[in-house]
Amino acid sequence: VHVPDGFIAPVVYLPLYGVAAGFWAYGARRVRASLDEDTLPYLAVLTGLAFVLSMVAIPLPGGTTVHAAGIGLLAVVFGVWTAFMAVSLVLVMQALLFGEGGVTSLPLNALAMGLVGAAAAWTAYRGLGRATRRGALFLAGLLSVALPAALVALVLGLQPLVAHAEDGTPLFFPFGLSVTVPALLAPHLVIGLGEGVLTVLGHDLVQRLRGGHSP
Amino acid sequence: VRDRLLLGLYLTAVVAVTTVHDPAALALALAAVLALAGRAGLRLLRRALLAVALFNGVVTATYVILATLEGRLSWHYVALVNLRVLLLATLTFLAVERIDPFRALAFSPSLTYLLTLAYSQSMVLRRSLEEFRLALRSRSPTPPGLRERYRHSAVTAGSLLQKALADAGETAQALRSRGFFDD
Repeated sequence: VHVPDGFIAPVVYLPLYGVAAGFWAYGARRVRASLDEDTLPYLAVLTGLAFVLSMVAIPLPGGTTVHAAGIGLLAVVFGVWTAFMAVSLVLVMQALLFGEGGVTSLPLNALAMGLVGAAAAWTAYRGLGRATRRGALFLAGLLSVALPAALVALVLGLQPLVAHAEDGTPLFFPFGLSVTVPALLAPHLVIGLGEGVLTVLGHDLVQRLRGGHSP
Repeated sequence: VRDRLLLGLYLTAVVAVTTVHDPAALALALAAVLALAGRAGLRLLRRALLAVALFNGVVTATYVILATLEGRLSWHYVALVNLRVLLLATLTFLAVERIDPFRALAFSPSLTYLLTLAYSQSMVLRRSLEEFRLALRSRSPTPPGLRERYRHSAVTAGSLLQKALADAGETAQALRSRGFFDD
């Protein structure tokens, strides 16, 4: 979910920057602690991977496609913090190098997609992986898309409440939760089904390429 | 220093724009940004319009319909939100053209290195993705079905993942052999 600049009030995105900064600092320490001197190239290459995974097309019935997020696969294979840092770097890169996404929506996108999405995917895989590996992977892919969409819907839906003129006219995003939640969740649940399939198939392939060992 | 200063100015301007709720002031600011862009102004404006058209179009159209039905339509809001988003997008495209982020982040060698490597890897992997797409097209005399397209997407994702891991290992070895990690 890429929200452009201009729809989120400063009273929301500035504190979100504070929250995200804390997680970025902690994530950097976790990534550095879990890896060795290879950390920088590893993180840089994974950032490139996260960037390009978001361009992989997920086919939908009817001949259309949507783009994958790849966060479920990244989280399951590399862990929550590495996925979070890589996705955050992708968002920074898209904002500063390509002018895509947005500076004011960056912390929301990073926290929603990179942290909540990755944590949900990793938890689903760890929690259910022993019972049903493929089911857990599918759920990981689905949740990595659906939960971030729910969080973004929540933040967008709160905009008319937290930022409005004296007469009640909205100043930023105009719709409340009754509109944003169904409008964002419904399509992302469909996309999540595709992402779930892609996560299962992608993980199967990684295992095959690695001689059957779980990454 | 120039790029770092410009980046700081750009970020400050973005925050400042989101605190302004007067369409006339935003229109003036947009005119100022276009004047700053000089000859590139119209091109940047067109690019910004294209970038925000879909999201803004959907939000604005839905707002106009719902607010009209509820009898609380505000054209002031329509002008405000569209001008703000367009101004921010134009400002961002101008910043992308004028600021070298690698120089702006040069105060931190690690950050510059990370961004440089991440950017170059993104471009390499994007090329691989395009090659995968062309390979599927050239090997499919008839349009591939849903199952084939899913398998193709999964193979693409898995292979990119493998390539990324191999590249990370090679890069680390190359840096180590050149003494990058030695203090």
